[in-house]
Amino acid sequence: MGRKKKKQMKPWCWYCNRDFDDEKILIQHQKAKHFKCHICHKKLYTGPGLAIHCMQVHKETIDGVPNAIPGRVDIELEIYGMEGIPEKDMQERRRTLEQKQESQKKKQNQDDSDEDDDDDDAPGPSFVQQQMPVAQPQASYVPPMAQPSIPPGARAPGMPPGAYSGMPPMMPGHGVPPMMHGMPPGMHGMPPGMMHGMGGMMPPMMQGMPGMPPGKHCPRRYSSSPPLLQSLCTRWGGLALTGDTAPASGAVPHNVPSTSSDPPKATFPAYTQSSASSSNPPSNTVAKPPATVTSKPATLTTMSATSKLIHPDEDISLEERRAQLPRYQRNVPRQGQVHMSAPPVAAVGGMMPPQQGMPPQQPGMRHPMHGQYGGPPQGMPGYMQGGMPPYGQGPPMGYQGGPPMGMRPPVMSPAGRY
Amino acid sequence: MSLFGTSTGFGAGGFGAATTDTHNPMKDVEVTSPPDDSISCLAFSPPAMPGNFLIGGSWANDVRCWEVQDNGQTVPKAQQMHTGPVLDVCWSEDGSKVFTASCDKTAKMWDLNSNQAIQIAQHDAPIRTVHWIKAPNYNCIMTGSWDKTLKFWDTRSPNPMMSLQLPERCYCADVVYPMAVVASAERGLIVYQLENQPSEFRRIDSPLKHQHRCIAIFKDKQNKPAGFALGSIEGRVAIHYINPPNPAKDNFTFKCHRSNGTNTTTPQDIYAVNAISFHPVHGTLATVGSDGRFSFWDKDARTKLKTSEQLDQPITACSFNNNGNIFAYASSYDWSKVTFCLVPHVMIVHIQITFVVKFPSNVALGTCAPANSSQIVWV
Repeated sequence: MGRKKKKQMKPWCWYCNRDFDDEKILIQHQKAKHFKCHICHKKLYTGPGLAIHCMQVHKETIDGVPNAIPGRVDIELEIYGMEGIPEKDMQERRRTLEQKQESQKKKQNQDDSDEDDDDDDAPGPSFVQQQMPVAQPQASYVPPMAQPSIPPGARAPGMPPGAYSGMPPMMPGHGVPPMMHGMPPGMHGMPPGMMHGMGGMMPPMMQGMPGMPPGKHCPRRYSSSPPLLQSLCTRWGGLALTGDTAPASGAVPHNVPSTSSDPPKATFPAYTQSSASSSNPPSNTVAKPPATVTSKPATLTTMSATSKLIHPDEDISLEERRAQLPRYQRNVPRQGQVHMSAPPVAAVGGMMPPQQGMPPQQPGMRHPMHGQYGGPPQGMPGYMQGGMPPYGQGPPMGYQGGPPMGMRPPVMSPAGRY
Repeated sequence: MSLFGTSTGFGAGGFGAATTDTHNPMKDVEVTSPPDDSISCLAFSPPAMPGNFLIGGSWANDVRCWEVQDNGQTVPKAQQMHTGPVLDVCWSEDGSKVFTASCDKTAKMWDLNSNQAIQIAQHDAPIRTVHWIKAPNYNCIMTGSWDKTLKFWDTRSPNPMMSLQLPERCYCADVVYPMAVVASAERGLIVYQLENQPSEFRRIDSPLKHQHRCIAIFKDKQNKPAGFALGSIEGRVAIHYINPPNPAKDNFTFKCHRSNGTNTTTPQDIYAVNAISFHPVHGTLATVGSDGRFSFWDKDARTKLKTSEQLDQPITACSFNNNGNIFAYASSYDWSKVTFCLVPHVMIVHIQITFVVKFPSNVALGTCAPANSSQIVWV
């Protein structure tokens, strides 16, 4: 590099610790987020500029930079892009980045569940956390690229399962965030078959790919933080499916842009206004990385200053949540009559409240099995879970009493919570 | 007379009278004899079948079939039951069979001609999605389940012809031959190619940061599947192309189903996108959300075409009919707002149908009077 190092790291915003691809984007971000007048929405260039504007035009004082993390709200500091950042903050940032790289590499080989919890519990507002992990991948991308094997049982399920082990040809297209997931070994058997079947869907891809050494794709360890993804995921599309992402480093720069509300990211025109002003929601309501595959589901961050996610806190789907309710656990062979609805509704009214906050359930928990349901399961012709009942057997009058699947795990299938 | 047995809940009348009732603010046709519990899925009959038949699966363990006539009348036709809530339905391409997937861990094939349903699939956990695949060299059913597997069944055999492991529980899926896409828990996203036999094509890093909720494949101008629209619980839909010339520009996300758009003083409420449907002819898409609204969007022009009025309940499912003239949406509780005191003891479920009108120059949507201009009977 030249003697005068260009701050060496990727441009990042001093006010909110976010990383960006490009200084230009960083500046746009600062203007939109930190230097925008809340009264007239005029975008200024610096903090002091904003203060002066508010004073002169609106006769109002502001005491801090909007949308800044605590400790970085100083309105007097003249920061523009990467210029003006106090040296000690720069060093602190560099140090933090390095630390993250270290812990990234270490984490790669460790059991994930605890790590994730640690990340979650780290103090500080959510976006401090966001920025730290965001920085990780850029460094860690390069090393992992060289690793041919995927550490088994690697990452927390919080990450999008990028099971790339089987997909060398695809890999380059996914350079950035091919998240390694704890892939079942079975997946490895897929690639051979998969390669052939690509047919019509693949041709454009295949052309650039051939040279890709199989082991080369990125068993990327993903940090447990969703904010990482928010930047990755918005930008991953930027990785064209071309063959020239061969150099791992080529893939790296893409991954840490600003959040989804960035101007370069096309959003519907209807929302471009609000995306600028209320663009915090995406970053603040980001889901916490769900815990590992345990019986306790992770929770979502559903509240933030600017928005509220209308969804129950647990990070399971609405259907799953609903299916756990007692009223849906029963397995009554309904004979086509539907007035069942009355009792259940009433019953639910009584039962619901205590069930509400219940995290998904331990098998033994809910069994308000009404007497009437005791019967049917036993009556079912030899259905063992996992086995296929013979077809056409007892056809159908209205329905076929399937295997008493609604029965709780202790009774039937060991797996599954249903 | 109702084929569906006693139907509690609404239907007692009084709906047509209200002028701006929030049950049906769009004044769309309400389907008669809706199920007694929330509707989880809707599907219109394929083009091979004359007429429009609508299948709806519900949390009352039943699957109902209505005929939607050209004058807007809906006629209940038949019903089948599972022993658990029905989560997904689909038609065979010739319109003779309906496949249903349920929390009772089975999927059934319902032969409409004989009105018989037999079990054709089995999983270890509720089956969340079911799709019919018609390939030149094979036909099968694809079922995605919360047991983290994706299985393919020849309906004549009790054993799956193929079973693929998913990274996590299947939350939604779509099939447009030769492409299939599955979105799972933990924001997993996998594309499959179905030629010769189904196999995993690519795992994609989710373009969304929140839990995946619904997905729909769209086609390009050559009528081949080109990508998909993925909706999350965070009021956002991602449009994602499989092989775009310029991914950074071509793929994008947009926000939807949020309240207080420009009001910055109160927190914005963000609702889940419950379902996405593409118009079969125009390629525009419809999204329905927990906020009780549906919206139509043009993904190529990247504009919003229309948003409905707000219904009093979330909209849980939607479907276009095979020629795009009819859009059905179901309004029923989706448990997105369950709190201690909000449990509705009576759920009003209704399926509305809006007739889609095309104007000469561009697409406009709204209800319309039928061509023969007899009145639409609000039932």
